[in-house]
Amino acid sequence: MSNTSNTLKINTFTCAWCGLTATKSTTDGALRDHCPSCLHSQHVTDQVEGGPSECHGRMSPIAIAVLRTGDWMLVHRCVRCDELTSNPVCADDNQLILMRMAVRPLAQPPFPLEALGSL
Amino acid sequence: MPRRTRPRAQDQRRQRHKDVLHDQGRRANDFRCVGCRLDVSVDAPGTAHRNHCPQCLASLHVDRRIPGDRASECRGRMEALAVFTRPDGEWMIVHQCLSCDELSSNRIAGDDNALALVRLALRPLQDTDRASRTLINL
Repeated sequence: MSNTSNTLKINTFTCAWCGLTATKSTTDGALRDHCPSCLHSQHVTDQVEGGPSECHGRMSPIAIAVLRTGDWMLVHRCVRCDELTSNPVCADDNQLILMRMAVRPLAQPPFPLEALGSL
Repeated sequence: MPRRTRPRAQDQRRQRHKDVLHDQGRRANDFRCVGCRLDVSVDAPGTAHRNHCPQCLASLHVDRRIPGDRASECRGRMEALAVFTRPDGEWMIVHQCLSCDELSSNRIAGDDNALALVRLALRPLQDTDRASRTLINL
C-alpha cells in the first residue's frame, strides 16, 4: 500500500475496432487519440460546438491532409453522426494504412489521368 | 467605396423602386466564388449538391451540421484540404474553414477542375522525404 508511487501508471485505451490496447501517450510525448494499428478513433469531442460529445461513435480514418509545414494530418469521420475531425499523425502509426489512404484516390480516378500528361 | 460623383441635387428625381425579385426563382442559389470571383451556377453535371467553385474548389462556411441547413454564423472561406474516395469509388473533397477550422466533405462535380483535383490528391506524395520514409517503414 505504501509504494503506490512506485507502481507504473500508464494510461491506456482499448481500440473500438481492432481491440488493441494502446497507450494514451506516444514515445515522443504527444497525446494519442487513435489506434496506432488500425487508425480508428472514437468520437469524444464535438467539433461544431466544442466541448465533449455525447456520440462516442467509432471514427474511421478516411483521408490524409497535408499542412503547410508538410506534416500529415489524419481525417476521421464518425460512422454514427458523420462528423469530421483531423488529428496529427503519430510516428508509430501503421504506415501501410497511411500510404494506402494517400494513394487510394489515384487508383480510382474519376477521369482519365492520361489527359493531364499533355498539359 | 468612396463616392466619386457629386451628390444628387434635392430637386432631382429619386431612383425608381424596383420590384424585380432577384433572390427567388431558378437562379436563387447561384453564387460567386470567394476565391476566384467566378460566377457559379448550382446546376452541375453529376451532382445535385454543388457547394464549391469548380475552378479553385473554394467553398463558403454556411452549413452547420446538416448539409443545406444554412445555419452557420461563420461565413468563413473554406479551402479544399484533401481528397478521399468513398467505398463506391466516388471522389470526395474535404474542406476546412479558414476562420474556425471546421471540416466538411462534398462530392466532386463533373466540371470540377481536373488539374486542381489531381494536385490535391497528390499533395501527400509531394513531399518525397515524407513519402519515401513512409514506404521504407512499411
